[in-house]
Amino acid sequence: MDVIRSVLLRPAYAGIAFGVAVVVFTFSIWLPNWRLILTVIPSSIISLPDKVILFWNLYGSIQTNFTLVSASYTIAIAILFGINIVLFIHHIKIRQGPLSGSTSALGVGGLISGFFGVGCAACGTFILTALLGLVGGAGLITLLPLGGEEFGILGVALLGYAMYSIIKKIKEPLVCDTIWPSNNK
Amino acid sequence: MQKYTRGNYATPASIVIAGVLIAGALFFALGNQAPISGGQPVQQQPTAIDTTDQIRPLSNEDHRKGNPNAKVTIVEYSDFECPFCKRFHDTMNQVLEDRDDIAWVFRHFPLDQLHPRNARRVAVASECVNELGGEDAFWIFTDGFFEVTPSNDRTDISTVIPNLVAKAGVNETAFNTCVASGKYDQHVQDDVDDAIATGGQGTPWSVIFGENGDTLPLSGAQPVGAVMQLVEIMLKSQ
Repeated sequence: MDVIRSVLLRPAYAGIAFGVAVVVFTFSIWLPNWRLILTVIPSSIISLPDKVILFWNLYGSIQTNFTLVSASYTIAIAILFGINIVLFIHHIKIRQGPLSGSTSALGVGGLISGFFGVGCAACGTFILTALLGLVGGAGLITLLPLGGEEFGILGVALLGYAMYSIIKKIKEPLVCDTIWPSNNK
Repeated sequence: MQKYTRGNYATPASIVIAGVLIAGALFFALGNQAPISGGQPVQQQPTAIDTTDQIRPLSNEDHRKGNPNAKVTIVEYSDFECPFCKRFHDTMNQVLEDRDDIAWVFRHFPLDQLHPRNARRVAVASECVNELGGEDAFWIFTDGFFEVTPSNDRTDISTVIPNLVAKAGVNETAFNTCVASGKYDQHVQDDVDDAIATGGQGTPWSVIFGENGDTLPLSGAQPVGAVMQLVEIMLKSQ
């Protein structure tokens, strides 16, 4: 928690985390109405204030178009991904090198899993339903106890663990390894 | 000398893979995937952002609430066992309370793969109530069902439907005969096909329909504010 606090106390990092979280959250909320958005944005008939009011009102769907579980993990995924990104940036800055593959995969896997749990614009998860429908398995969602929301919960868990992994790496002391060339005499 | 960590390409590779997976998921989810409904996949329309102009024209056979001369009509495709349709039903009733210049048309879109037990049966039942009791009876039945259903195929329709039929003032024997005849099966399927043709991939799915034929899509149980704003936008474009 100290690492997170110290990172987020820096205005630039806090700004990046907030910005990323807002983008992820907005994407989750607006995704079910991508057709409406792509129709409204280029329209010259609809005024800019009307467009802004509409897009702002769509945020209210977090209360009407999500269950308590899916709303919770949608918000959690947005926040956790924002924090993961700034921890990732901070790690690169202090370590002068990339994260290991496993840690990167955890963070990205968390986001992917979370997006599969997004939806409930209709009954069932939005993306997962469509993907399973491709292979004729959309009905499998009904076998899942939470109707596909498990993926969102998994996303939160993966992102949480990714955060823990990055923090652990950040806290490791900076040491130089001694490398002996194989032909050293 | 500092030792470089392994997996220098792991991070960018992860990001690329994630991007491909999400893009692929979005592509299939939003463009080319047959929606979930009915027994057979429906032939997809050519890919287009908005196909709501394919909507079946409004007619006197539609179930309508609100102003009969409305400049803006909200056509909702609904599933009786969908929890978000239940919420949106309340939203639409509230919108009609707040505005007297719009109309609400109810069409069926039972999601058989998610609600195989009840959704289509209740849709047919509502049509029989309409035949025997008229439009008012239809809305008494529909409003009443959404009020009591726990959704997700958990409704005990063997009890709920007879109660609502009685509340709507419809003769139960005539109702049962109507349901058994199957005469409204095709009507419900026609609504489903219409929903899919307009781009519906789940419920609730709505088309905001203007007097001049303009249409706007609306997916999901959106809040009152969003519905009102869409109505305003449509009115200004008329």
